[in-house]
Amino acid sequence: MRAWKVVVLLNLALVVGVGWGYVFWGLRAARLDRELALARAAAASGVEREWVVAGVVRAVLPELDVLVITHGEIAGLMAPMTMGFRAASPKIHEGISIGDEVRFTLRGVPPNVVVTAIEKTK
Amino acid sequence: MYALGLCARWLHLASSILLVGAATTIALAGRSDRPTARRWEHRVLLGSRGLALAALGSGLIVLGLQTALFEGRGGAALEAGSIARVLIETQAGRVWLVRFGLLAILAAFLWSRLHVESSLDWRAARAQAMLLGAAALVPAAAAGHAAAVEPETARAIALDGLHVLGAGVWVGGLLPLALLLWTAAAEPGADARPYAVLAARRFSRLALGVVLVLVATGTLMAIANVGNVAGLVGTAYGRLLLAKLGLVVAALALAAVNRAVHLGRLAGDGPTVGRPAMRRLATFLVGEGLIALAVLAIVATMTVTPPARHEAPTWPFSVRLSFAALEGAPAASARVLIGSQIAVLGLVGLAAGLAIRGRRLPLVAGALVVLGAGVGLALPPLAVDAYPTTYLRPSVPYHAASIASGATLYREHCAACHGAGGAGDAPAGLRLARPPADLRGPHTALHTAGDLFWWLTNGIPEAGMPAFGRELGEEQRWDLVNFLRALSSGYSARGMRPAIEPDRPWLVAPDFTFAVGPTPPRSLREYRGRRTVLLVLYELARARSRLAEIAGRDGTLALLGVEVIAVPVDAAPDAIKRIGPEPRVLFSVVTEGAQAIVTAYHLLAASPHVEFLIDRQGYIRAVTRGSGAAGDLDKTIAEVQRLNEERTAASAPEEHVH
Ligand code: HEC
Ligand SMILES: [Cu+2]
Repeated sequence: MRAWKVVVLLNLALVVGVGWGYVFWGLRAARLDRELALARAAAASGVEREWVVAGVVRAVLPELDVLVITHGEIAGLMAPMTMGFRAASPKIHEGISIGDEVRFTLRGVPPNVVVTAIEKTK
Repeated sequence: MYALGLCARWLHLASSILLVGAATTIALAGRSDRPTARRWEHRVLLGSRGLALAALGSGLIVLGLQTALFEGRGGAALEAGSIARVLIETQAGRVWLVRFGLLAILAAFLWSRLHVESSLDWRAARAQAMLLGAAALVPAAAAGHAAAVEPETARAIALDGLHVLGAGVWVGGLLPLALLLWTAAAEPGADARPYAVLAARRFSRLALGVVLVLVATGTLMAIANVGNVAGLVGTAYGRLLLAKLGLVVAALALAAVNRAVHLGRLAGDGPTVGRPAMRRLATFLVGEGLIALAVLAIVATMTVTPPARHEAPTWPFSVRLSFAALEGAPAASARVLIGSQIAVLGLVGLAAGLAIRGRRLPLVAGALVVLGAGVGLALPPLAVDAYPTTYLRPSVPYHAASIASGATLYREHCAACHGAGGAGDAPAGLRLARPPADLRGPHTALHTAGDLFWWLTNGIPEAGMPAFGRELGEEQRWDLVNFLRALSSGYSARGMRPAIEPDRPWLVAPDFTFAVGPTPPRSLREYRGRRTVLLVLYELARARSRLAEIAGRDGTLALLGVEVIAVPVDAAPDAIKRIGPEPRVLFSVVTEGAQAIVTAYHLLAASPHVEFLIDRQGYIRAVTRGSGAAGDLDKTIAEVQRLNEERTAASAPEEHVH
């Protein structure tokens, strides 16, 4: 065979080989991406969920049924912050006062969650 | 094992590079029908076949050793499973796989008996060899130190790739070209003489460009991997780089002689001028080639040496140069200024001497004398004492906890001489022949953290400063260094006001870790680049109205990107409870970690109530010393707005070692 033909064939083979590998891996990566997105969507969809969170009480507003709490990260819901949570019933914040370190239960369909239980840890 | 690894790496690198050069040189010289030229081409081709085999064989050894290193036992080098793991799981392994595959194809291509009689076939075959050689060489960049450079990894890899490719063209071309010239210079090689001369000229032109690329990429890579002078002279990697530079300069000197002297004589009268010049050029090229192979040996060593940036440099000299030495010394500053002007004059003279053809020697010599005089005048005032640890980076970060334990150590071990406040006024100190230094002094800016570390470790025997290297652990000594840094920073920050100085950040805020109740600990660093921090050190009894004022403007502050962190100076763990429902405080009140923050930040500004405004880059920009009474929050907000209007400076304080 003529040398130039060999060269052309060789380069063709290389390009096809690399291209095939890229497509193979690329498709695989795309599929994994899709699956991940599906899993995320499932996690975020309207299912009722529950978290148990540690925090410290910063304010009690009985007239609004609201507790303001500084909390750590709540997995899949929010980063650490200070914010108000609605209490499921007025009974919940009986005996709770500012500065109490607490463990509380959040329940609901995000982003509508309420405090269903709370206990002092210290 | 180590020696075998080095040899294998060197052989692999050298043969990969020579392959590229051999192919390029043949392509550069072009096709010829002269029997001598064809004989040369054939010999280079035979050599290339050998090189390809050498590259493959040494590549296998390198892979085996890599596997042994990865698995942590020598036996793994021969186990298929372990090798497969390295090939699939590590970046170096994947790169190896790609390169080895390409090398194997190249070897097969070189060994195949292709007919390259027609011009088209010849060009296709030679170009293919060049392409495969380059493709097998360049990816090596993605498995070396360049791949570990951060940030801009891709740029580092591209630079490195360009660098090895350039090296391939230049270094790899030297020996084949020497062979051609040698053959053509011999009596029976006369038919190939014009061919050889042409090849040498083309190579010379190409090499000039390639060398420029090599120097440029090499400089950029050195900056990325070494960083500074201390890394260059104070680490194994840096010294290898210096050795490499020395050899490269020698090779370039030979190249310059070739270009300036030998190349011009090639075309002269055959027996008296042309042939002797050819032989001399060939000898010089071989010399250059041997130096280049030595350079590759150093490069192979460098690939298994951690880059200087990741190493603690040991400063080898007893002085260093620092512009800080001129602070408050006008006479010395003037001397440096005049000296540097004279040196510039000398440089200009030097350039002129090199550019003007006649009277070169006296001009250059005179310029060198002037240059030397200028440098001799300018440098001495800049010299500062230096120690092996001078450029050591603190192994304990500048953190409130470290400063606080440094403060405790200082009280126990140092205050007796240096005084409780660091002024050097304690009774025991005043009795010494040379009174202890004032540790608050801004002259500490003259000393690096490594200097302080050296003195703490070894003392200053002639002055009566004791050594603490045995008594205190390394970490404790760094704690003391951090404490001293905070102490002198506080002294320099005496004049800091509640108003910021626009675009002039200089006071680094020590990092700290804190927690609010049972939430996970956070650190100041986490706000870097995201939020301005207003750090309030308060005493509850007097600060209620101020806390209420800040709490009342919570929304405004949040909108401006301000995070308020309040620290009770009594470090009460029930600080939130103590504040109670009135005022309604919702910003972070530190209940854990307060003690260290208070100790560290009171060194920077001591006052019963003090507020620090820390910008997004981590610098303290304004300090408000107050009584805790309300009234000035509008001013603080105005300062925050001025901060927000600033162009953001990129500097990250932890890079700044003092
Ligand atoms: C026995 C008394 C004594 C004790 C204890 C002592 N020092 Fe010193 N220190 C000195 C003297 C004296 C000097 C030298 C002053 C000079 O060179 O001008 C000095 C110098 C220094 C310097 C160099 C300052 C400079 O800029 O030149 C540092 C830093 C220092 N001491 C830190 C410490 C620390 C930290 C401790 C505690 C671990 C300590 N010293 C304990 C007496 C003492
Ligand atoms: Cu500085």
